[in-house]
Amino acid sequence: MQFEWTADDKRFREELARFLDETLPADWDELSKEGPGSDAQAEFSKVFCRRLAERGWLTPHWPSAYGGRDATPWQHAVLSEEMWSRGEPRGPQYMNVNWIGPTIMEFGSDEQKALHLPAISEGRVLWCQGFSEPEAGSDLVALRTAAERDGDDYVINGTKIWTSYANHADYCFLLARTEPESKRHKGISVLLVPMNTPGIELREIPSVVGHRYFHEVFFTDARVPASCRLGPENEGWAVVSHALQYERVGAPRYARAARTLDRLADYARENGTLDDPTIQEKLGHARTMCEAARLLSYKVIDQRAKGLPPSADTNVARVAGTTVDRAVGELALEICGENALADGSFADANFRMSMTAGVAVGATEIQLNLIASRILRLPKE
Amino acid sequence: MDFDTSEEQQAVLDAVGVLLDRHAGPKRAIQLARELANEDANEDSNEGAHEDTYDHALDRALAEGGFNDIARSMSSLEAALVTEAVAKAGGRCAFATAALVAANLGDDPNDPHDSHGPIEGPIAIALRSEDGPVRFAAHAKHLLVISNAGNANSAGNNGNAHLIALEPGVIEPVSSNFGYPMGLVPNAMRRGGRALTQENARIIDWWRLALAAEATGTMQSALDVTVEYLSRRRQFGRTIGSFQAVQHRLAECFVQIEAARWLTYECAAQGAPREGAATVAAHALAAAARVFTETHQLSGAIGFTHEHDLHVWSMRLHALRTELGGVAGHRRAIAHSRWMGPQR
Ligand SMILES: Cc1cc2nc3c(=O)[nH]c(=O)nc-3n(C[C@H](O)[C@H](O)[C@H](O)COP(=O)(O)OP(=O)(O)OC[C@H]3O[C@@H](n4cnc5c(N)ncnc54)[C@H](O)[C@@H]3O)c2cc1C
Repeated sequence: MQFEWTADDKRFREELARFLDETLPADWDELSKEGPGSDAQAEFSKVFCRRLAERGWLTPHWPSAYGGRDATPWQHAVLSEEMWSRGEPRGPQYMNVNWIGPTIMEFGSDEQKALHLPAISEGRVLWCQGFSEPEAGSDLVALRTAAERDGDDYVINGTKIWTSYANHADYCFLLARTEPESKRHKGISVLLVPMNTPGIELREIPSVVGHRYFHEVFFTDARVPASCRLGPENEGWAVVSHALQYERVGAPRYARAARTLDRLADYARENGTLDDPTIQEKLGHARTMCEAARLLSYKVIDQRAKGLPPSADTNVARVAGTTVDRAVGELALEICGENALADGSFADANFRMSMTAGVAVGATEIQLNLIASRILRLPKE
Repeated sequence: MDFDTSEEQQAVLDAVGVLLDRHAGPKRAIQLARELANEDANEDSNEGAHEDTYDHALDRALAEGGFNDIARSMSSLEAALVTEAVAKAGGRCAFATAALVAANLGDDPNDPHDSHGPIEGPIAIALRSEDGPVRFAAHAKHLLVISNAGNANSAGNNGNAHLIALEPGVIEPVSSNFGYPMGLVPNAMRRGGRALTQENARIIDWWRLALAAEATGTMQSALDVTVEYLSRRRQFGRTIGSFQAVQHRLAECFVQIEAARWLTYECAAQGAPREGAATVAAHALAAAARVFTETHQLSGAIGFTHEHDLHVWSMRLHALRTELGGVAGHRRAIAHSRWMGPQR
């Protein structure tokens, strides 16, 4: 057991931090307020990710066969922490490099790899994730979107919802039922669908989180060639499970929370409230949550670095990560007081980003269910 | 980074495990505690009966096994691992203070500049400003007194710790429901002694870490007995542990405990840095309150009885929480060292 970063990892973090200092524009704070799905940030991500790619830092954790540098999961963690703590300048592209690319590597045909992997590793493509449906949220396998085989094509009908970045995306990583009467985990396939396919329509769902945050995506007789299918027909659940392993700890929410907390302390100091013991206690409490989530995430990364199969420790890390994200979001409102209330204020922007933490990417209750059964081994009944 | 125990660490844990199987465990803790109750019931009890409420056999076995010195022979990480194991087994002796605080006093017998040799245990630790019962004080050979003036403050030297040699019997045992043998140490008895080379603030770092390591092992056992019980106990025709409302609360406790554990290990491996030590104490002792409430609530009436093991660990959690100013103080200490230090 030891808790030291290697010299290489430390150097990598320093280089990244310096690069971010130099590369992020002066108005980055303003620009990043609307979150990774905003028009401005999606556009910026294309410029920024290309620059990261030039240095080999967009996909360092990818194998060298796919243009990566075989970086360790620890270096991937460093990368994610540095990006998240700066408001994720990769915008939606963190998904591409974290799990879409690696899943295509694992299951893709040569053509799919040739088409998608360079585009992702060069930072010039945006993706969205078409999993959730109006009737399939936490219980994802209740999904009904159908992709019916018609010769060499699939014809897609159905509705996806909550699809982040759908408005900017070039492709959708889509789950659909390719076996008409199938139930639950069976009969699902993954399709890599170009978003400009005729028959795809979007509706923005206005929300308190921000503009263009949520979308509904309607598929009406949308026809794609069968070559869009990733992995074997009707066995897409294995593909999704693989993808989700990568997704789950992808976002180090604690890193952003820790950065926000430091800025809240600055704010309190400037406003003369840092001497208030109650404020100190609140800041200190939030800091313990950041550190708790950091170490619990590291435990998962350690397992990944050792090539172990995913475990319920991932769920533990996620509960801690969402807890701190929300707690710091709320503390920002409290510390900034009235100044929090105007749209786009520091506290408002943080709160918007944090308030969905317990729901996105699998709600907290589902994580707790898994901890109860897989770690505590509590009875099912 | 490596989150697996090394072979050497595993060997240490196996060795202490053998020892704890023999000298600790809930049965023994309950029996030792009962000695005190018997003594209370019997006014005429002879002097020294209270000796039995302290686990001298365990204390001796740990010392003879070299575990008290493991911070020096190996590192403070191993000391934290063993401290957690002793707490998890419900050990009734002052191991944490010996292994994580005293062993880090800088009294290296091989260091010619050192002013004091090894300190004979058991050692109790207390704040100068307080006035009440102190864990293990009635059985201790030494009392380590820490001044917490400016405790939260990270800056500068805030004076040195003092060590008071205790004659047998000077500290009166006091009956306590909070799971440890205690001695009443009035404020006047916390004066004097000889000054140590180590400043108060530095000892407080180690004390915080020691509390977190103890809390971690103690919480884990409290949760374990509760999970075990709820996996058996049936009501409404099903096991109570199968109700989701119950499962979620236990799972939340687990997340808190697991975080306390890794924060403790990291902090120990890093030598109890100021902010890290305050962080782990603040986290672990806040978690302790939650674990107490949830394990008792979910265990129902049996959980409050001496016939069920939960109390062996649960009650101790609140004793740990009272030490060193409690959670609020630990949290303020984080703020002081992270955001209000001299570098700002
Ligand atoms: C910001 C954000 C971005 C998102 N982006 C995407 C995206 O890009 N692509 C995509 O496909 N989806 C996306 N989602 C959807 C997300 O995956 C779902 O919101 C999530 O899986 C939960 O589903 P739901 O919202 O339908 O909630 P529901 O499943 O309806 O759950 C409502 C509540 O009930 C609880 N609950 C449900 N089942 C159980 C149970 N068995 N036991 C106990 N409690 C239960 C839940 O925990 C939750 O608290 C996004 C969501 C958010 C908030």
